Amino acid sequence: MQAYLDQMIRDGAFAGVPKEVVYAVAMVLAAFVVLSAFVAPLAGVTSWLERRVWARMQSRVGPNRVGPQGILQWLADGIKNLLKEDLIPADADSKLFSFAPYVVFMGFLCTFVVIPFGADLIVADLNIGILYILAVTSLVVVGILMAGWASNNKWSLLGGMRSAAQIVSYEIPAGLAILTIIFLAGTMSMQGIIKAQGWVPWDWYLFHSPFTLGAFFLYFTAALAEGNRTPFDIPEAESELVAGYVTEYSGMRFLFFFFAEWGNLYVIGAVATTLFLGGWQVPPIFENPVLLGIAQFVTFFLKAYLWVFVAMWVRATLPRVRVDQLMALCWKYMVPLSFTCLLGTIGLMFVPAQGQTIIKAITFGFALATAINFFRRVVFQVRNARPELYFKPQI
Amino acid sequence: MSVANYAKDIWQVMSTTFEGMSITLSHLVRRPMTIQYPDKIPVPIQETLPHRYRGILEVDLDICTGCLACERDCPITCITIGIDMNKETKVRQFTHFDIDVCKCMYCGLCSEACPTGAIRHSQEFEGASYNPAGLVRHFAPQLQNLYKPKKGGETDPTLVAKVDIGQKYLDEFATPDGGAAADES
Amino acid sequence: MSETAPARGFYTEEDMTISVGPQHPSTHGVLRFVVKTDGEVISEAIPDVGYLHRSIEKIGEKVTYHGYVPYTDRADYLAAMFANQAFCMAAEKLAGTDVTRRGEFCRVIACELNRIASHLISVGTFGQDIGAMTPFVHALRERETINNLMEEICGARLTYNYIRIGGVGYDILPETCAKIGEFLNHFEPIVDEFNRLLSGNKIFIERLAGVAVVSKEDAFSYNLVGPNLRGSGVKWDIRRDIPYSVYPELEFDVPVGMAQVGALGDSYDRYWVRIREMQESCKILRQCLQMMPKGPAISKVPKKFRPPAGEYYARVEAPRGDMGFYVVSDGSEYPYRVRIRTGSYTAMSIIDKISKGIMLADLIALIGSLDVDAPEIDR
Repeated sequence: MQAYLDQMIRDGAFAGVPKEVVYAVAMVLAAFVVLSAFVAPLAGVTSWLERRVWARMQSRVGPNRVGPQGILQWLADGIKNLLKEDLIPADADSKLFSFAPYVVFMGFLCTFVVIPFGADLIVADLNIGILYILAVTSLVVVGILMAGWASNNKWSLLGGMRSAAQIVSYEIPAGLAILTIIFLAGTMSMQGIIKAQGWVPWDWYLFHSPFTLGAFFLYFTAALAEGNRTPFDIPEAESELVAGYVTEYSGMRFLFFFFAEWGNLYVIGAVATTLFLGGWQVPPIFENPVLLGIAQFVTFFLKAYLWVFVAMWVRATLPRVRVDQLMALCWKYMVPLSFTCLLGTIGLMFVPAQGQTIIKAITFGFALATAINFFRRVVFQVRNARPELYFKPQI
Repeated sequence: MSVANYAKDIWQVMSTTFEGMSITLSHLVRRPMTIQYPDKIPVPIQETLPHRYRGILEVDLDICTGCLACERDCPITCITIGIDMNKETKVRQFTHFDIDVCKCMYCGLCSEACPTGAIRHSQEFEGASYNPAGLVRHFAPQLQNLYKPKKGGETDPTLVAKVDIGQKYLDEFATPDGGAAADES
Repeated sequence: MSETAPARGFYTEEDMTISVGPQHPSTHGVLRFVVKTDGEVISEAIPDVGYLHRSIEKIGEKVTYHGYVPYTDRADYLAAMFANQAFCMAAEKLAGTDVTRRGEFCRVIACELNRIASHLISVGTFGQDIGAMTPFVHALRERETINNLMEEICGARLTYNYIRIGGVGYDILPETCAKIGEFLNHFEPIVDEFNRLLSGNKIFIERLAGVAVVSKEDAFSYNLVGPNLRGSGVKWDIRRDIPYSVYPELEFDVPVGMAQVGALGDSYDRYWVRIREMQESCKILRQCLQMMPKGPAISKVPKKFRPPAGEYYARVEAPRGDMGFYVVSDGSEYPYRVRIRTGSYTAMSIIDKISKGIMLADLIALIGSLDVDAPEIDR
């Protein structure tokens, strides 16, 4: 984007205005467009899609009445929440209480300025892109602690502290997995990492070596834990005693936390795509820059949304992990494994290029075999248990 | 813990998650089992319910003999029947036959006790009302004579069909000398 | 305090007293526990019951024997057939009535179908409490088919009033028997799929293995029955040990906890006993469908049922354990006293003992694995 702005300044479009102001205003406008036209409807539609996907996995239908196929359900939910009474508990710290949802919201919104939607479609290509994302998503911890403390409720406080401990612990395996890719790519810039990969699947970092394959699963699991998604959603589980740090929240403030959670799913998917799946790389068949841009955008979106779908799928499948087991999982299993992946990747960087190609081929073959095995298993499940038995004749 | 146990734990988590995810994906591609009542169904639900379904009570007063067996057998006293002697015609008549549908527990004891099958459970289940008074059903809106069952079957053409329907309903119940399936070969 | 007491598990001044329930997504019905905890480890969990008390035992003194049978449905609405059967058995013994052979087989078919339905709810809600929401809906889907079958048999889906004094209220027609056979063919692979999805899941096993262990001695001294007792390793089943109806002629296993994944008597054992019982019920149903004789489904019972004075205690193996009806008659057409003994009431009493020193998440697992349900507790 900076290149286009420079071109327009040279053509004299912004006569008299200093360059920095042009940059600043342009970035704010771009961020605003991204946030309102992309993020807000995306988070809303994700909530609807999540409910439909869960429902189909449970042999039922899900919301399908509000709008075509129920796609406006999130609008109905949002309006309903806006119309609710804005309740702040009497002894709660009302300034912190009101501010906490916005901190959490900022924690995930700020990441969108470095998400690369296409080769030229990025708000700001920082050269510390991925580090910026890691840093900014930690704001969520501050927001959660504020929410827990300001509710003036022992249970919210405990839930907030537990949730904060969970997020902070899982940053370590996530960071180590990301570090693995940074070592491979040699740069922290998001566009740089994507450009270091190719468009064919075996040029992606996912299949680069068994260590990066492991790093991917570790990153995805750690990111799910950071986003408070099942199987790590103790803080917001309804069947635990209380709803954790959001107990005292109602109405739109309550929805903000969940809005941030659904939006965060996309950020997880986007980072996973950037680091491991080759981002917006498309086969070199498009000459027209507009068509190329659209192809890149669609490719990136589909790849990122695939991981959103997988997150929903995992939530529908797995039960919840208990708090102490969650911590044990992080510190006893995931941190050593992430270190192993990091050291393994660094070690493999010394292997000559032919050796690396062989390792890449083996990894790709293994992943392909696992995927084929999985789909064969799905076919077996469909054939084995057919729940179409239903006795009402006409329905 | 030993390395073998550690590796086994990791392998088990991954394999059971893999298996579970394959099951949920298999459900995603199957037809859902929801009946989208009340508007996206091909026929009204009432027509798909079996004949024995114990819905809201209905009374066909034309074949009610006024024996009060249903009122006696009801364990929750939701049926109230009033019978009076008409001074002019010297014939006994119903003054009221009320069933409090919100008290009824749909047990079927009243319909089993009826000799003609006048009181029976219908297939109706949508009985919501905006006030409790609407839940008391009055089956004798005007004074009506009691029914006298004729020996040798009913001959009045208007009542033959009703008697048959009542009898068919009573045939569903099991009896000591044969029931619906006792003599099936 | 012995050396083997847990490090926490006694009340200190910093403990909080909170109320789990009566409105809570994971207590099974309206139950309330007054829990003292420091935020993670529980030091005391005292059950507070009575929110669903409907005086069913008192009503028994006010209505006739025939009229009381629909009330027994509500004593445990998830296992209504068993309460019907227990009361009818007590009334028949008081009056010396026989039950026809076909009636007995119809009773067993209806009861085993109801056992499958009740266990489906139990394992489904248990999975839901642990966090797995999909198996719950799958279990309910299967239960819907059973409800449709019961609707065909007796006209109602939950409160059946099917088993009457002397037999059953409606005969089971051959086409319904064919449908039950089809259902069984369809259901057995579904239980296997349920096991693959939930019972085999490592996270589920880790949540439950070794959690809330009830030893054999505790189970005896707190009078646990049913799958709770069998989960602790005791092979006791009323259908085998105090046989009634036609169960002596049927071949089935009594599943017992085997400590597959942890200690004997932990939550997973109780859960696994229920899954196995569903499979055994399928076996029983198949045998009944084959062996069903022809004949009337109910024997001759007077309309004004007036048993001679006496008392009888009838026990059946309900899904939640040994359900007993103690009926005292004084010769009139109303019972003098009806007393219902249910398995969930005693299961509540063990919760306080076992929950000392466990975590809050494990309390939820304990309540779910004991399969307590409020209508049985409070009647």
